[in-house]
Amino acid sequence: MSAESRTVAREAWEETLGDLKAQGFAYLDLLTAIDRGDQIEVVAHVVEPVSAGQIRVSTRVPAVDPRLATATQLFPAAAWHEREAAEMFGLVFDGHPDPRPLLRRASPGRPPLRTATVLAARVAVPWPGAADPESAGKGARRRQLPPGVPVDWLDETST
Amino acid sequence: MSPVAHGVIALLPEACTSCMICVRECPTWCITVESHAEQVGEPGARRPRTVSILDRFAIDFGLCMYCGICIDVCPFDALEWAPAIDNSAANRNDLVHDTERLAGWRMHD
Ligand code: SF4
Ligand code: SF4
Repeated sequence: MSAESRTVAREAWEETLGDLKAQGFAYLDLLTAIDRGDQIEVVAHVVEPVSAGQIRVSTRVPAVDPRLATATQLFPAAAWHEREAAEMFGLVFDGHPDPRPLLRRASPGRPPLRTATVLAARVAVPWPGAADPESAGKGARRRQLPPGVPVDWLDETST
Repeated sequence: MSPVAHGVIALLPEACTSCMICVRECPTWCITVESHAEQVGEPGARRPRTVSILDRFAIDFGLCMYCGICIDVCPFDALEWAPAIDNSAANRNDLVHDTERLAGWRMHD
């Protein structure tokens, strides 16, 4: 089922969700984030349980100041979603009662789901796509690199 | 479409050319293809042709996220969804399905 979408300013986030809850959209289905480059989009999906109507609300916060009011006072279920979105995208949910990372230990590295974050763990794993059957026995014509990985990235660690 | 239509990924080994496209596109790096090159002479051809022979194809379902990208990108339709849901395992290694097991998931040829 396709859901109606609403985009609101960061300042209107809590109020919008509160209004929707008052209108019967009392079930928080999902809250997550998307890296849009210089902005982080936060998306919440609320459901009206009787009609199963759905509304998707989104807002954008600057990547350099990724703060947003928590929705936990309205939807207690937002607590885990916000903790996960916070650790994965570096978001800060103001007023969250328990802002510990949900899935990972607190780490000083970049948030893993920001697109600028290079997945360093992949350096330790050989890329299965590096083999080149066409030039087997002839010496590889060119080194294959995983898609999306900076060209000189593996060189620092290999050989 | 049955609710478990995307249960497991099946392989038709005869159709696979070991081209490595699925291996390179898989976001979780969970496909392994091992192959070797063989020279095939054909009547009338001046020089023998080099073809890749598939030795082993494996998907690690402990890493696979069932995105279906491998199925989409295969130029030879060697991969397809199969509706099996009994592909759990008692230990981590048994989640790696190799050529024969993947071929066994096929519903039709
Ligand atoms: S479904 Fe996705 S994750 Fe699984 S093997 Fe195919 S490309 Fe890889
Ligand atoms: S993309 Fe298709 S033909 Fe190429 S290696 Fe994968 S399964 Fe085989």
